[in-house]
Amino acid sequence: MKPAVTPQIEADGEAVTRRKVLSWLSGFGLFGSLIITAFSNLIFIKPRATYGQPNRFSIGKPEDFPSGVRLSLDTRRVCIVRDGDKMAAISTTCTHLGCIVSVSETGFSCPCHGSRYDQDGTVTGGPAPRALPWYQVSLAPNGEIEVDKDTEIEPGSYLRV
Amino acid sequence: MSNQTSTSPWKAMIELPENIWHSIFRNPLPSSDLGRASTSFTNFFLHLHPVKVHRNSLRATFTFGLGLISFFLFFILVVTGILLMFYYVPSTSQAYDRMLDLRGTVAFGIFLRNLHRWSAHGMVAAVFLHMCRVFLTGSYKPPREFNWVLGVLLLLVTLFMSFTGYLLPWDQLAFWAITVGTSIASYAPLVGKQVKFLLLGDSTVGQEALLRFYVLHVAVLPAVLSLLVAIHFWRIRKDGGLSRPAEEDELAPQPNVEVVTGPALVMATSPAAAAAAKPVLQKRQYGIQGLVRGPFTKIGNVPDRSVFSWPNLFMAELVVFLITVAGVLLVSLYFNAPLEEPVNVMHPPNPAKAPWYFLGLQEQVSYSAFWGGVGIPTLEVVLLLLVPYLDRKIAGVGRWFARERLLANSLFLTFVVVNVILIVIGTFFRGPNWEFVSPW
Amino acid sequence: MSTRVTLAIVSFVVLIVHGIVFYDQFFNRWEKHQAAYFEQARSLAKTDAERKAVDGRSPRIEQVIVTQFGESRVDRCVTCHIASDDPRFQGHAEPLTTHPYSAALGDVQRNGHWERRHKFTDFGCTICHDGQGRGLETVYAHGEDEFWPDPLLGYVTQANWHSEFKAKLTGKEYMQANCAQCHTEENFPGTPLVQRGRQLFFEKACYGCHRIEGLANGTLGPDLSEVGKKFKINYLWEHTVNPRAFQPTSFMPKFDLSDDEIKALTVFMKSRRGKNFAETSLGQYRARLQQTKFEEGSKDKAAAPSPGRGEQLIRERSCTACHKLGERDGHIAPDLSYEGLIRDEDWMMAHFREPKSRIPDSIMPVFGFGDPEFRSISEYLKTRNAPPPFKSGEEIYKNLCARCHGEKGDGKGVTYLYLDPAPRDLTKVAFMNSKSEDRFLESLKSGVPGTSMPPWERALSEEQRRAVLSYVFQTFVREPRKEIKEHKVPETNPVASSGESIQRGEQIFLQRCTGCHGRKADGKGPNSLDISPRPRNLRNAAFVNSVPDKRLFDSILYGVQGTAMPSWIDYGLSQNEVGDLINFIRSMNPRTVPSGREKSSTLASQMNQEVVCRQKSK
Repeated sequence: MKPAVTPQIEADGEAVTRRKVLSWLSGFGLFGSLIITAFSNLIFIKPRATYGQPNRFSIGKPEDFPSGVRLSLDTRRVCIVRDGDKMAAISTTCTHLGCIVSVSETGFSCPCHGSRYDQDGTVTGGPAPRALPWYQVSLAPNGEIEVDKDTEIEPGSYLRV
Repeated sequence: MSNQTSTSPWKAMIELPENIWHSIFRNPLPSSDLGRASTSFTNFFLHLHPVKVHRNSLRATFTFGLGLISFFLFFILVVTGILLMFYYVPSTSQAYDRMLDLRGTVAFGIFLRNLHRWSAHGMVAAVFLHMCRVFLTGSYKPPREFNWVLGVLLLLVTLFMSFTGYLLPWDQLAFWAITVGTSIASYAPLVGKQVKFLLLGDSTVGQEALLRFYVLHVAVLPAVLSLLVAIHFWRIRKDGGLSRPAEEDELAPQPNVEVVTGPALVMATSPAAAAAAKPVLQKRQYGIQGLVRGPFTKIGNVPDRSVFSWPNLFMAELVVFLITVAGVLLVSLYFNAPLEEPVNVMHPPNPAKAPWYFLGLQEQVSYSAFWGGVGIPTLEVVLLLLVPYLDRKIAGVGRWFARERLLANSLFLTFVVVNVILIVIGTFFRGPNWEFVSPW
Repeated sequence: MSTRVTLAIVSFVVLIVHGIVFYDQFFNRWEKHQAAYFEQARSLAKTDAERKAVDGRSPRIEQVIVTQFGESRVDRCVTCHIASDDPRFQGHAEPLTTHPYSAALGDVQRNGHWERRHKFTDFGCTICHDGQGRGLETVYAHGEDEFWPDPLLGYVTQANWHSEFKAKLTGKEYMQANCAQCHTEENFPGTPLVQRGRQLFFEKACYGCHRIEGLANGTLGPDLSEVGKKFKINYLWEHTVNPRAFQPTSFMPKFDLSDDEIKALTVFMKSRRGKNFAETSLGQYRARLQQTKFEEGSKDKAAAPSPGRGEQLIRERSCTACHKLGERDGHIAPDLSYEGLIRDEDWMMAHFREPKSRIPDSIMPVFGFGDPEFRSISEYLKTRNAPPPFKSGEEIYKNLCARCHGEKGDGKGVTYLYLDPAPRDLTKVAFMNSKSEDRFLESLKSGVPGTSMPPWERALSEEQRRAVLSYVFQTFVREPRKEIKEHKVPETNPVASSGESIQRGEQIFLQRCTGCHGRKADGKGPNSLDISPRPRNLRNAAFVNSVPDKRLFDSILYGVQGTAMPSWIDYGLSQNEVGDLINFIRSMNPRTVPSGREKSSTLASQMNQEVVCRQKSK
């Protein structure tokens, strides 16, 4: 490597242009690499598979749920509702601060700060800011009911079984 | 620039981006020698460097950038290591599963593991070669004796880092390499058994050992290594930069000094500036740093063959960094870090081989556990540490294979060659039951 | 080249490599499989709802986490085998195919729909199939990677497996080993191979040497309770076919087994994975209880020993897995057909209780049956006293001797590997012609104590024995006998046995003899493996005590022709020194338990102590 000795060469305009081009090229390479690295590391840190409960899970055959049932699955944090041939899954995570709401006669109530919801999850009292979300329920090809907690649906839309 | 006082809030708002920029980067890209100097010492990351650096130090064939490569590999290891920590769990029941997840599930998981593993191997090699460079150019001679000692310590810490890292995947290789390694430690006289117990936290390699090795690997040793590296770098400057032949300084003077006026430079160089007015060579001079002896206060004073660090040194460093990165990236792209069977404490693999850089040691150990594992290595390390205090003659410094140093260089090369031969034998010529086999 | 150009080039190289790395990351086979699945599922969908369910999905890693069977398992197999539980994909190609439904697996058909007994969401995949649940690439997931301990059972063989056996190691029946993890009932209909293997484990007397928790308590061989966890099926198979394939030092016999039997044993062993999922600690406790009960009960039953019971025991407990008795033959251990004429009850009982007490290097395990059962067996064996019907020397040799000494007389009969000391090689002329005829006749008549050579006195008449010997000399030695030169040796040891003499003898022994006879004098010195016949075990008390001083003097001073034993008189050993040596050898083989042991040399006294301890513990 030949150390670039400063003033003499700088006077040479061609050398300056060449140097500028080279600097831009190096800068582009370095900056590009840096961006790719940063982006890759972000992708790396985001888990592609989690170790907890999966967000889409099967809860069994429709026959397992008699009409009128309101079954709270605490480990899944979801309440399975069946009314005639209509089925739905309502979240049991309080929209206020994340406690698990319990199923009451009138709907749901939260033990932490007293939020109350009606049977469809609409807020009827307490500090809860939003209604309880409904999750997509579908009939899997093997005949079992599948709940997908990644997809929220309009409250009041049921799966007909 | 930065001390501009704004008259109205509005103006302050307009100048905000510029002010922020200037508060971070005090100087524009330098176009004068003053600027070049001030770029070096007003930047946190650059101020470790001298403002000017001797041409000899920039010659690629003098250093081959080995020290820098070692440091950059360490840097890569820190970055990839921290990223891997996001997924790693130091538990005997989970560690191996996490390795499988890195290989299968995590995006870039296997790639980062490869980077980490190959950089570690590269770092051991680079540090060792760096040591060879320093010895063969006679660069450990006074005043650089202590920096050589630091370097030897850094080599040991690097090896220990690598050793502790080997356990973490919790596969057969890990388990048995560490079992063998810590058993070697137990042969050390008097304290051996205690050292082994302290390392393992138990009588055998298990959960406690994994946790301890993890802590050593991710916290204790990196901290020690960083500290030692910092001192190592600092000493380079304090010991007068990289070594060079005495005659290099005495070439025809090339006055290359601007009159220094910038406010940022006043503190540092005003004595130098004053001295520059006198056309005499001063061997030693006393300024603000006058309490510190040595040849380092020559900046701008003694006519010499130095050039400004900005851009010469920094660009060279950047090139070395990029070559290092490109190297480990390419290696990691094509070679996967090995992952052997999950630990089976009842069934050692045959042969149970340590990583290659410990195979010389393992080969020695196969003759005698005490001498091969403790006696000779200790002797070697002690000799290495004492080298600059035993070899005091200042001759042949800063040149490769100087004739004046024929004896020292031959002795050292013998040491290197013997170790390399042992490693080659251990790697290629040893089969099941550590019996001699032909690799062909 | 200037630094700037280098910098520009290198930074571009780095950028390109970064790009490759980044690009490389986004080509996963599983994503392609899933995309194909969604496409096919959309075309197979019959209702809008089905179509909508597919539309909402995008490729992602699917997994089943099973926590109910011991350590939690993460099975990502369904990421590629995403149609495994989708009945519309029956008969499609892998990986997008439905896992077969089968009544044998407990699946039931209801209203025209199959319902799985073992739901994938509850059981996962690797619990039956093995393989690597966390892998997302075929080579890893299926366990083709040779480092993975559990390749897909019955489907995948690994590259480093013995090619000869690979074909035999595939077939879904191997998965029975995993069924048996939960279905531990002995007669579970789903696991016929495990049952057959368990049966063979007893039929082939494996239980004599091996321990399996709750099943057997052998101690000679390795514990097999977790053998399925430690070894892959290739090892289990090959080790059964040839025990010395992996471990040249193994003394496990090679049993007569057909491929089907080996398969059953392999599956059975693979099923032994330590604590089975369904076995609670209570279950294990019960199993242990049952076993002790079985032993106690059998003791009661056998209170009155009888030959009939003995015959039954020999059949039940599989003595003929190794021994020969009439038609049944294990090709490993000596023939018991004429045992009543060969051994007496004392010998048999002592041999049953501790085989090594009569033949110190016997590999026969200690079967802990209990004295009444042993008594029954010996009662039965005593009834095997019909003299052998063979007439000519040749006939006698082929039927009685060839089993050990070999058809060709080369000492390599079917059992030779398992006998220690090995049968004499009768073709070694140097040996055969250096020993007197009387000595051979004596060995035939009274046997060689401490070895497997039995006394034929009661089984063969004097003429028959002479006929065999002359057959041996005519057929195998085939050289005319020369006159044997009597060496001049003392009849009895002229050196009195004393502490000092023994100590001197020990010194000589350590200097001269350990290379072959070993430091422990057990015949296993460092050179012993290269020597044929093997050096004598000088701690074989039965043998050493049967040899008179004269023969010891002769063998040591003048060597043994046809063996590696040199003539020590040529190496400067005097008669008195040999006397010391003999005293030392004798001191290691006390005829009775010495009451007041004299303070002798360390090695000898240590050995004595060991002998005493062993005898006491019996």
